[in-house]
This record gives sequence, C-alpha cells and structure tokens, in this order.
Amino acid sequence: MLGKLTWEAVPWNQPIPLIAAALVLAATLGALAFVTATGRWTYLWREWITSVDHKRIGVMYVLLGLAMLLRGFIDAVMMRSQQALAVGHSAGYLPPEHYDQIFSAHGTIMILFGAMPLVVGLMNFVVPLQLGVRDVAFPTFNSTGFWLTAAGALLVNVSLVVGEFARTGWLPYPPLSETAYSPGVGVDYYLWAVQIAGLGSLINGINLTTTILKVRAPGMGYLRMPMFCWTALASSLLIIAAFPVLTATLAMLGLDRYAGFHFFTNEAGGNQMMFVNLVWAWGHPEVYILVLPAFGIFSEIFSTFSGKPLFGYRSMVAATLFICVVSFMVWLHHFFTMGGGGDVNAAFGIATSIIAVGTGVKVYNWIFTMYGGEVRFETPMLWALGFVFTFVIGGMTGVLLAVPPADFLLHNSLFLVAHFHNVIVGGVVFGVFAGIEYWFPKAFGFRLHERLGKAAFWLAFTGFWVTFTPLYALGLMGMTRRLQHVDVPEWRPWLYVSAAGVVILAAGALVQAVQLVVSIRRREALRDVTGDPWNGRSLEWSTPSPPPAFNFAVLPQVQGLDAHWRAKQAHLAQPADKPRYEPIATPRNTATGVVVGVFATLMGFAVIWHIWWLLAAGFVGAYATFVVFAWRDRDEDEIPAREVARIDRARLAGLRARETRA
Amino acid sequence: MTARDSLEATPRDRGDRAPGDAIEERGLVQGLAGYGLGLALAAGLTAAAFFVAAGHLVWGPAIPMALVTLAVAQMGVHLVFFLHLTSGPDNTNNALALAFGVLIVALVLGGSVWIMAHLNHLHPAMAQMMSMRR
Amino acid sequence: MSAAAHVRATGHGQGGPASKRIVVGYGFWLFLLSDIVMFSAFFAAWAVLARSTAGGPSGRDLFEPSRVAAETALLLASSFTCGLSALATRARSLVWTELALLATGLLGAAFLVLEAQEFAGLVARGAGPQRSAFLSAFFALVGCHGLHVAAGLLWLGTMMAQIPVKGFRATLERRMLCFNLFWHTLDIIWVGLFTVVYLLGAGA
Repeated sequence: MLGKLTWEAVPWNQPIPLIAAALVLAATLGALAFVTATGRWTYLWREWITSVDHKRIGVMYVLLGLAMLLRGFIDAVMMRSQQALAVGHSAGYLPPEHYDQIFSAHGTIMILFGAMPLVVGLMNFVVPLQLGVRDVAFPTFNSTGFWLTAAGALLVNVSLVVGEFARTGWLPYPPLSETAYSPGVGVDYYLWAVQIAGLGSLINGINLTTTILKVRAPGMGYLRMPMFCWTALASSLLIIAAFPVLTATLAMLGLDRYAGFHFFTNEAGGNQMMFVNLVWAWGHPEVYILVLPAFGIFSEIFSTFSGKPLFGYRSMVAATLFICVVSFMVWLHHFFTMGGGGDVNAAFGIATSIIAVGTGVKVYNWIFTMYGGEVRFETPMLWALGFVFTFVIGGMTGVLLAVPPADFLLHNSLFLVAHFHNVIVGGVVFGVFAGIEYWFPKAFGFRLHERLGKAAFWLAFTGFWVTFTPLYALGLMGMTRRLQHVDVPEWRPWLYVSAAGVVILAAGALVQAVQLVVSIRRREALRDVTGDPWNGRSLEWSTPSPPPAFNFAVLPQVQGLDAHWRAKQAHLAQPADKPRYEPIATPRNTATGVVVGVFATLMGFAVIWHIWWLLAAGFVGAYATFVVFAWRDRDEDEIPAREVARIDRARLAGLRARETRA
Repeated sequence: MTARDSLEATPRDRGDRAPGDAIEERGLVQGLAGYGLGLALAAGLTAAAFFVAAGHLVWGPAIPMALVTLAVAQMGVHLVFFLHLTSGPDNTNNALALAFGVLIVALVLGGSVWIMAHLNHLHPAMAQMMSMRR
Repeated sequence: MSAAAHVRATGHGQGGPASKRIVVGYGFWLFLLSDIVMFSAFFAAWAVLARSTAGGPSGRDLFEPSRVAAETALLLASSFTCGLSALATRARSLVWTELALLATGLLGAAFLVLEAQEFAGLVARGAGPQRSAFLSAFFALVGCHGLHVAAGLLWLGTMMAQIPVKGFRATLERRMLCFNLFWHTLDIIWVGLFTVVYLLGAGA
C-alpha cells in the first residue's frame, strides 16, 4: 500500500536530524497557526497563493530562496564546525553517513533552491516593470513554475524527516549513485526534487525570453532595454538551452535506478564518464544562469549610484551575449583530471580562459561608470563594490584552475571549493542582496533601514573572506574537499580561522534579519512616497511603490535608453494633456499553479517510495487540473477605465507633490 | 486578434509572424498544394533514404554521408512546407531561435562525442580491454 | 500613440507588445527547441553507447527495415493530416477539423502500436533495455519519442473534445497552432531518429 515506506524512515535514533526536523515542523506549524489566528487565510489565498501577478510571484520566489539559503547556511555551519573539531584523534560530532548527506544537501539546496529562486524571483519582479509592460508573457505559467520549484524544495526538506538525502555530493556521480551502491531513497529524493524544480526553471526561462523578445513597451528597441533585461535574456536563453540536458541526464540515472537500465552502471557496457560529461554540460551554463542576472543588477546599481549612464552599453550587451554563448563551450574544465587527454583539455582550457574576457569588459565598464560620477555609498553600492573586489579575485583563481596542469594538483581540493564560493558568494549572493536592498522599496513601499543594511554588508564581506581565505591555503597544502575527518594536525589553525569566519557570517545573517524586522516596524518613517527613492534611471522607478496590479495605466512611449531618467529631465512625469484611460484586461488569479504543485509533490513522494497507485493518482490529478484550466471560459478580468484613472491620478498627485517640494 | 485584445489601447507590434503560421493571404487551394507538395517531397526523400541504406544506390563508404544529407533535406522540407519557416524579415525571430537551438544541439552532440571518444581511447571500457588482451 | 510608432514597428518588438498569437506561438516554439536539446542529450548518449553491446545483440541483429518504413510512413502521413487540420481551422470548418484531427490521431496511434510491438518483441527475445548499455540507450531514445507521441495524442483527444463544445475561440486557435508545431517537430525528430538509429545503426 505504501511502497517502501515504513516507520523506520523517520530518523528516531539520530538526534541531530530528529531535532532539526522537530524545529522545522514547529516553525511551520507556528506559522500556520499565526496565519489562522490573525484570520489571514482568505487574504493569503486570494492575494498570494493563487496570484498570477509577476510582482507577487517574484516576492514569493525571493522568500523561498531566502528560507532555503538559511537552511543551506546551517548545513555549512555544521560542516565547518565538524572539520574544525574532527582533527587527529577527535571524531567530531557528525558520523560520516550523516556528514555526506549534509554536504550533498548544502550544495543542492544552495544552488538549486537558494540561488536559483532568488535570481529568478528578482528577474520576475523587475523585468516587466523595466520593459514598461503589465506582466510577463505567460502569467499562469509563471505561477505554475513557482509552485513546481516550491514542490522540489519541499521534497528536499521532507527528506530530513522521512528517509534520507543523497550522500553523493550535489551532482550524483555514478556508479556511487546507482542502486548497487546507494540502495536507499536518498538519491531518489535528489532526482525527483531536482527534476520537478528543473521543470519550474525551464518554464521560467521560456517565460522570460518570450517576454523580453516579444512584450515590450512601444519604442523600446533592443538597444534601449535596461542592462538588467539583457542579462535576464541571456540567462533565460541559457536556461532553455541547458536545463533539458539536466532533465535527460537525471532521467537516464533514474532509468538505471528504477528500471535496471545500463547507462552508467559498471556492468553491461555502461559508461560512468558519460554522466559526468552530460551533467557538466548543464552544470557550467547553470552557474552563468546564476551570475549573469547578478551582473545585470550591478550594472543598474553602478549607474544609478554614480548618477551617470552605464559606460559602454553596447560593449556590455556584446560581452553578455559573448558570455552566454561561450559558457556552452567550456564544460570539460570540471573534469580535466578524468582522462580526456591533451587535445581535449587544451581546447577547453583555452576556451575557459577566453570567457574571462567578457567579464573583464564588464568590470572595466563598471569602473568607468563610476569615474567622473557623483558616487553615493548607500547599501546597494557597498554590495556592488564588495562584489567587484571579491568576484575579480575569485575569477582570477578560476583562470588559474583553467590551466589543466594546475588543475591536476588543485582539482577537488579546498582551493576549488574556495574558488567557486568566491565567485558564487561574491557574485550571486552579493548580487541578490544588493538587488533586494535596491528593489525592496519598489516591492513594499518602504525602504530598508540603511545603517543595519551597511552593518550586514560589512559582516558578510568580512565573514566571507575570513571563512574562505584559509580554504585557499588548505587547498594548496593538499586538503581534499568533503572530508569528515582531518588527519593532518598542521591544518587545524586554518580550520579554526575558517570556523570563526562562519560565526561572522552568521552574525551578518542575523543583522540582515534584524534589518527586516526593524524596517517593517518603522515602515511609516521609511515610507517611499515618490516611487523613486534612489533617483533611478529605468522605468520601474516611474511607477508608485508598490506598483498597482497593472503596473502602468498607459504603457510608456520609450524614446531612448534610461527612459525614466529622460522623462525626469524633460519633466514629462506630468504630461500637459490628460492621458486617455482605457479599461485594462488583467489575467485572472487561479489555483492551477498551486494545485499542480501539490500533485507534483505527491507524485515525487510516490515515485521515491515506490507507491505506484499514488503516482498514477497524482498524474491523473495533474492532468485533470490542466484540463479544468484549459476549459475555463473567462481568462481575464477587466479593470474599468474609471478605476484605472483613479489609481493613476493618485500617482500623479504624489509626483506633483514631490516636484513642488523639490 | 479577439475583441478582448483590442480592449487595450496599446499599440501592437506589426511585421511579425508566429512560428508555424502561414502568410495570411494564402487561400485554401494554395494551402493544400503546399502541404501536398511537402508530403510528396518528404515521402520521396524517405524512400531514397531507405534505398540508400539498403546499399542499392550509393557506394558503400559514402552511405552515412548520403543518409545524413537526405535527413537534413527532409527536415528542411518539414520546416518550409509544414512549419512555414521562411527567411523573410517577419520570421527573423523564429529562424534565429531555431539557429540557437541548432547551435546548442551541435555543441552537446558534437562536444559529447568528441570528449567521449578521447576518453574511450585513453581509458577503454572493461569489455574492450578484455578483448584486447586476447 | 503616434503614427511614427507604427512606422517603426519592425516586428522586433519596437512597436509595442506583440499579439497574443505571436507571443503564445513563440513561447511554444522555445519550448520545442528545449525539447530538441533534451532529445540531443539522449542522442549523445546513444552515440556514445552504440557499440556497447556487452556481448549481446546489436542493431543489425534486431532492426526490421520494413517496420521502420511503415512507422515513418504513418508519422509522415499524420503530419500531413495535421497540416490539413490547420487549414480546416482557418476555414472555420468544424467537421473537417475534427476529421483531420481524428486521422492524425489514428495514424499516430498506429505508429505507437507498431513501436510497442517492436519493443515487446525485443524484450521477449532477451534484448530488453536491461541487456546492455546500447539497448538501454536505444529504448530510452526511441521510447522518449514514443512518450511524446503518446502525450500528443492525449492533448489531441482533449482538443477534439473541446472544439465542438467551445467553438473556434481565440484560445483554441492558439492551442491548435501549438499542437501543429508540436506534431511537426515530432516528425522532424523522427527523421533524425530513423536515419541515425535505425538506418545507420543497422549498418554498424
């Protein structure tokens, strides 16, 4: 009836996961109780859960990403502390089979359930506003993509309570990940959580690409789009190109595990290297999917906080597209040491070095943007400056690793671990926090507390360097990654310093949370009245904070780059003649997304535990949901012209008040 | 475009065509002729491929190249006659998207085959090594 | 809304948002391209594992050219009838649309029956996917295409039920466009499949 599922699946005899599970359950139940007590279920259902508004979906993505970032960070705390403690005779506190699950969960969660939702959420929120349009191309699809990602995240977290997680690292190399060597449900949890979330990501890639190419305000030619939209386009194109490869590869591993196929097994002709090859053909573009939007965020921030247009816009566009294409030509550098030979290693090593040129162009353009401008060192700009310093160094260690002979010594050492954290934290995480600080007022109508924001940045920046510099040294000294126990006493001081760095990072995370709480409590004092708190340049700053559901009462007529800045210079914010207000058709909210997400979770759980009737029922339910959605008669609501006019007149009145005050 | 679309006074982009859409002005007879011609050409190319594979038409070592050429031609017939993909300016986005897809396919297929061939040469699979020992 | 805006509207998005039909068609086109990339990963696996027969049967021992020819003919014919259904939709003829869709579905179903027979026969001969890496790759690649055809038939059936009830409204016309794109693309993938896997594979 319940497949392989028994009571033993719950880790009754393992205190750490048991306590962690209990805490998570308590927090979840507490949140549900709070919502019930304050009578907010109707509001939540109508305004958020069934919403197809890109702004709401973007916020939910960011919230999901932040929650999973925290979970991944706790995994990191456990790993660093274990390594600091388990030197020489000491065994630490995490047994190997548990430690293996922790580092596997850490990587999987951080990349696929932390960074991806954060980046996608910001793109979702900002891109339609910057393009001067009302929503993305496929709003209901957007909602479905979010709920599928949430379903995947839920499955990963369920593995903490029921069953186990994979012990194979964040990319489950066979033959270790085959049934013969991983007979439990861990790898299956990984497979299905990532497949479901991968589908959500693909949906996003298609949605954003179509939006950016086909749904823009009149007059916005390609070279008048904000830089963030260009990077969002490049990232979304990469999603469309790369995620199908991951889907196919994990499906092959799934077929090996479930149906006795021999793609990657030791016997009957399977080829383990084929997995490594295909999964990195996805894996490398994946990191560019993450970092390109971060580059875009920094482009926006550098120009806004220098009071100057972005330097070298066309070369930035060229560099972005260059990085987009070349990122698909370097993937072998993740397995230089696995026997490809000189020809192959040299070709991919050269390509890897060349791709750095694109980023170099961007860095120079950012610096030249600041030169001659009136630079304001507010929190988003601090993140941007911290990023340039951190990411450039991380990139340089990457170019060092791109040289195959060097990589033969450093592959899978802590040097590698330090490198990729250097670029992902310095690039993606800093970028996401910069973006959150920057666009928070637009999303919620009040700013975040500035002093606490600066403190959080400095703690994160310092904490990062204190944590990871020792890892570079340890890697050069020969320490491999993923060690549950350390045999070399000379390494101990470095591990202590690194653990201390984690404490600083934890303090930074705490201050970040405090900033949010304090800002909410003081929101009236921090209110963003004008909609343009940073004196921005692109169209999102021409809307009120938060924008109305339809974003723009009348789509702006775009005359050039930095459309909002131009309008401000020409005082076009208050047009001389009254705009003609028309009724606006908005897509209807629907439960399709969340219901599909529920069925996806059930199907995932069913296939993991071999509960075949539940799998079939879930599939029927998902298809039925799709048919119900396809059968509906009305897919749009109409906001009458008089309502549009009322909302817009309030916006214009606010702007006029700002002009007279200024 | 439905009445509902025109509710928005937004100017709509012109000069663009959805992929798979034929030009609007074509009549029913022209449409039928297009699909019929596509069917005939594709059928002919398919038959040719089977004949070539059976070894009746082409010198042996050239068979793979001939088959690949016939396959590409068939895909072209499908794209032009069934999917109405042209090189006109109203189809630029659609053709560019296809070109991007083809590039990725070439990189994934070509790259994988190249890499795996090198790996295989340097580290042969167990079965190959056993047969080499004999 | 000035005349100048329309003059400059070059189909590259400068004239404002594109019409819903273009937006939906283009988005679906992108999805199909992602699907083609997924197939290429399965193709790559097949190309690498084509000679890993583990002492078992190879393509030459297993493939039946006449069956493949029949499957190809069926799928090509169904592509043609699918095109006819597009013409019928444009002409707003319910009867012809349903007939053409029915023909497409029947031809597609016949294709699946032949393929299922082939798979069953292979398994019965001990040449199932568990026999060797080559057979695993074969079953996965061809099976993936078959699954797509089956999903297409499910979609087709749903639309055939919906059109008489709802009529030729804009949403259904857009879905017909998407279905056409899907079905023709499946045939394009089959061209690659039968050429590389069956015709070239039999010679290996």
